[in-house]
Amino acid sequence: MRRAKNNSDSLLFNLCNYAFFTLFTVICILPFYYLFINTISNNDMSSRGLITFLPKGIHLSNYIQVLKIKGLALAAWISVARTLLGTVLTVVSSAFLGFLFTKKEMWGRTFWYRFIIITMYFNAGIIPWYITMMNLKLTNNFLAYILPLVISPFNIILVKTFIEAIPPALQESAEIDGAGYFTVFTRIVFPLITPIMATIAVFSAVNQWNYIVDTIFLMTDSKLYTLQFVLFRYLNEATALASLIRNSQGGITIDVSNMQTATSVRMTVSMIVVFPIMFVYPYFQRCFVKGIMIGAVKG
Amino acid sequence: MKGNLKRVLSLVLVFIMIAAMAACGGKSEKENAPANKNTDTAAKDAGTSKTPEKELYKVDVFTMLGNMAGVQTGWFAKIVKDKFNMELNMIASNVDGGGDNKFATMMASGNLGDIVIFGGEDDKYRDAIKSGLLYDMAKDGLIEKYGKDIVSGYPKAIEKAKVNFGGGKSIYGLGYNAANMPSGPSEGSEMTWGPDLRWDLYEKLGKPEIKTMEDYLPVLKKMQELEPKSDTGKPTYGFSMWADWDGNLMCLAKQFACMNGYDETDQFNPGGFALISANQEKTQGLLDPDGLYLRTLKLYFKANQMGLVDPDSISQKYEDAVNKMKDGQTLFSWFPWMDNIYNTPERQAQGKGFALVPFKDEKIYSLGFNPYGYGRLISIGSKAKDPARVMEFINWMYTPEGILMSSDTPVGPKGLTWDVKDGKPYLTDFGKKALPKNPIDIPAEYGGGNFKDGINQMNINLVQITAIHPDFNEPYDWRLWKSVLSDNPSKLVQNWRASMNALTPKEYLQKNNMLVVNDPVFTGKAPDTIDKTLQQKQGQAAAVIKQYSWKMIFAKNEAEFDKLFKEMSDKAKGLGYDEVLQWYVDRAKQVYDFRQQKK
Amino acid sequence: MPAMTRTATLKTEASNSLYRRKVKNKYVLFFMALPFLVLTFVFSYLPLHGWLYAFYNFRPGIPLSQTEFVGWKWFQSIAANPTQTGEVLRVLYNTVGISTMNILVSVLPVAFAIFLVEIRTEWFKKSVQVLTTIPNFISWVLVFSVAFNMFSVDSGMVNRVLMQLGLVDRGINFLATDSHIWLKMCLWNIWKTLGWSSIMYLAAIAGIDQELYEAAKVDGAGRYKMMWHITVPGILPTFFVILLLSIANFINNGFDQFYVFQNPVNRNHIEVLDLYVYNIGMVGSNFSFATAVSMLKSLISVFLLFVANGLSKLIRGESIV
Repeated sequence: MRRAKNNSDSLLFNLCNYAFFTLFTVICILPFYYLFINTISNNDMSSRGLITFLPKGIHLSNYIQVLKIKGLALAAWISVARTLLGTVLTVVSSAFLGFLFTKKEMWGRTFWYRFIIITMYFNAGIIPWYITMMNLKLTNNFLAYILPLVISPFNIILVKTFIEAIPPALQESAEIDGAGYFTVFTRIVFPLITPIMATIAVFSAVNQWNYIVDTIFLMTDSKLYTLQFVLFRYLNEATALASLIRNSQGGITIDVSNMQTATSVRMTVSMIVVFPIMFVYPYFQRCFVKGIMIGAVKG
Repeated sequence: MKGNLKRVLSLVLVFIMIAAMAACGGKSEKENAPANKNTDTAAKDAGTSKTPEKELYKVDVFTMLGNMAGVQTGWFAKIVKDKFNMELNMIASNVDGGGDNKFATMMASGNLGDIVIFGGEDDKYRDAIKSGLLYDMAKDGLIEKYGKDIVSGYPKAIEKAKVNFGGGKSIYGLGYNAANMPSGPSEGSEMTWGPDLRWDLYEKLGKPEIKTMEDYLPVLKKMQELEPKSDTGKPTYGFSMWADWDGNLMCLAKQFACMNGYDETDQFNPGGFALISANQEKTQGLLDPDGLYLRTLKLYFKANQMGLVDPDSISQKYEDAVNKMKDGQTLFSWFPWMDNIYNTPERQAQGKGFALVPFKDEKIYSLGFNPYGYGRLISIGSKAKDPARVMEFINWMYTPEGILMSSDTPVGPKGLTWDVKDGKPYLTDFGKKALPKNPIDIPAEYGGGNFKDGINQMNINLVQITAIHPDFNEPYDWRLWKSVLSDNPSKLVQNWRASMNALTPKEYLQKNNMLVVNDPVFTGKAPDTIDKTLQQKQGQAAAVIKQYSWKMIFAKNEAEFDKLFKEMSDKAKGLGYDEVLQWYVDRAKQVYDFRQQKK
Repeated sequence: MPAMTRTATLKTEASNSLYRRKVKNKYVLFFMALPFLVLTFVFSYLPLHGWLYAFYNFRPGIPLSQTEFVGWKWFQSIAANPTQTGEVLRVLYNTVGISTMNILVSVLPVAFAIFLVEIRTEWFKKSVQVLTTIPNFISWVLVFSVAFNMFSVDSGMVNRVLMQLGLVDRGINFLATDSHIWLKMCLWNIWKTLGWSSIMYLAAIAGIDQELYEAAKVDGAGRYKMMWHITVPGILPTFFVILLLSIANFINNGFDQFYVFQNPVNRNHIEVLDLYVYNIGMVGSNFSFATAVSMLKSLISVFLLFVANGLSKLIRGESIV
């Protein structure tokens, strides 16, 4: 009897659950789908707003045009390199530092923890930041993509919170066995925190992939341009144009009629930047769809 | 344990995958490499045959007007490489979406590159001089030795640079759009303003007379009734506006002032809250009850009451308005240079399209030919690796050949897009396809890439391209070449010419005395710059003025319109409007004095 | 039984020695963290020398020693006269309002994660997870152009559908209106970030010991009971941390979203602090003023962080940072 009630309950629950997630997912992908069909449709029809549900006059010339941009391959390589190296470094250091901060016996723990956390809210401005980077010889230097982003307070908080939720008995028994901090971290903690590491890997990879401020200000050598930077001007063209006009107070003496790229090309640009993320993300997922079995580790 | 291992493994796998993807990227680059190498060597051969002693010079060009970062490519790059063995590495401050942050960091680094292009004779330019980051072109006779064409052709531009900014002897930058011409309007075949209407509809209505700017409204209403739907069945409007160009004021509310001979600036000092007459000693404040700004707002308000204003005007951006114009939703255009968005060759062949329909009282603001050069500048950075070679390159941009190639509406490589017959220039068939700025592929021997991307990305015209080319005795601007103007005009153009009895809009306006020319003044001093405190007040008051201007246009009735105007005045004045306006009025008075002296 | 006591005594002895070792190790731990602390100092604290600019008439490229010292002028100029004060208060009101709404809806990603793990169809779960993050990667500029294409008066998809159904005879101007603007902004924000923010909660759920669920099952606990008594407490610490951080972020609502959606009609209610500072044209040109504003913002944020932390200590008995 009870079981039957549970089942019908469960059925209703599942039904609502599936319905909600289906609906929300559709809402999330519709605009993306809309952008996509506009990139492969006839540009003229697209700009007149005639493409709504199905692509018309399918062509790939937008993609070809964007992929033909000079220096794109090198920029893509730089982007991948910074994403790869930056992510690995950030994940490992966040995990290790987050772990250290769970150790109550650390000298000045609260102070140092706060020392790092409050930097999240610091904003000194572009110029002093630039001067600092210049003095560190980090202009036109690939390391500028990696080093400043190694310490991410937010990631450290996430790791620390995560580790604190794990029963402390596991670490303690290892410590009793005489294991040092480093061993405890690599042998016990590291395997347990894969879900949160996957999370910060996703966060920091996306951040690295999309970050553009450092390229704008620190790099003048086009060999170090990133994919986002090379494509950014297309996305930003309308804004840049508007600001150019706003700042040229004396009438409009620039011929702007030909200065804009078609909207569809700009949409293509954002597709090209988003696709790799969509492609890689599912691989990270495996790390946190299943719960961990602490018992299994213990045994 | 095993499960965890799997997780770690899958992480590693992802990284390997990304690396693999990257490797693919690397490979495709390698595939590109040989092609590049070929053109490189070809270029080098050409270069070495002309200038064997010079090695490749990577010129850092910091431009505050350009919109592209990275090495200049395409046909212009090829010409520069062949002639000077130079490669132009563009550093654009606009890439970060405007703002002056990029400039600030470049200043902080103490190196502005080899060539610097300033957007105005503003604080930035002066701070750069003050901190010694610009190279003095007069030092050791650099400009006499390597800038002969500038010295001989544009002495006034040099004089201005010396007197206004260089303490009488140093040259830190040269103004743009300099012209060695008698005074007169410097525009091309069209002016900056129209207004232009849908000529086909206007003709169908029997070309009713338009006396004042308000007379457009009934005409537009009739045009709307004549063509209520666009090509795709959307409603048509007289005005489809956009707000993202608003700076100190509502940008599109200024345009009728410009058609009445006023502009936001006196063309010497920076612009602000004052509308200044081109040739008379008249100044208006934005909030003047009988001023042109308010009159224009009233015009738009009435238009909205008549259903002539696109309701999206408030929320849309420029590009949305462009899309509407493309579709035929718009019947009125302030700017002739927007005509081609609608005027496709097919439509023009049917006689459809936008063309100039001026009002009888119209006085279009025109910029006069300026021997001193206007307020954008080209400079050499103090850390330039080889100032002499940079000077040579800049000098070339002042020669007839350089002007044709390096302007922002260039004609392209000779022999490819144009040529000369009987001493007169004409466009080739390829040129007709590629110009003005079409992404048409360029043959490899001319540099490859497409025509549009190959255009000089510095985005500055050092010489006014409407000035006369000495060999052709025709303007540098190919759009004004006789061969182009007479080349198979479309039905639309024919109709317009027949009806207006003029070849170009400019010709018509000149004949009918509808232009007022702002003649440049020589003041012997640098323009004033506004103090930061005052500027802050200006920013706050401007934000209010912009917002209320739009609200007034969409007011429900006259009473609300007046009420909003009062609110706008009170708020703006509370934020220091009067003080800011006074500053600009004082500057304008100085310019009036100089205009007097000139006469 | 005796065996157990023996292990217990062994354990106390061991933990005593452990304690002694820990005391000795407190510097070891510090030195392990030191390289990271140095990095933080170099990249986050060194640039703070720029806060000095707020007290000068700073101009890039010209050394501070040659520029005019103006004291608190820029701070005072934020609200120098009644009209200005009115503007600043209006902007702060918007900022606080929008932030409050965002904090209220910050439980949604938690619920999203909890319900998502209840879905047993693996492929479905994974697809939802991936696809709902997509909006996070579309820049606000493009989001607006999609929004415009959907909601504009004559050509918008929504209005066309409404008109075809005969529900309205003229398009509704969804974008150029001031009504419910906070709610609309909040909804856009949810749409853009819900899937993405739920990731960390999904990770937190994955970190819950599965034995707890199995034990509960053995005790006959139903689905809801397990969700409420195991999953929710399991991710609560993460939620509190995020909550704390967003409270500290109260005056930073970001800029891009409001920048693209602002128009003269809704500006009164959409203008948040960051946007206001931009709109009055002070971002690019007046570095001293911009520095003064960002310095104030940093200080307020850090202050809020510790206030919220203190409150958490008072109420929940534990501090978070």
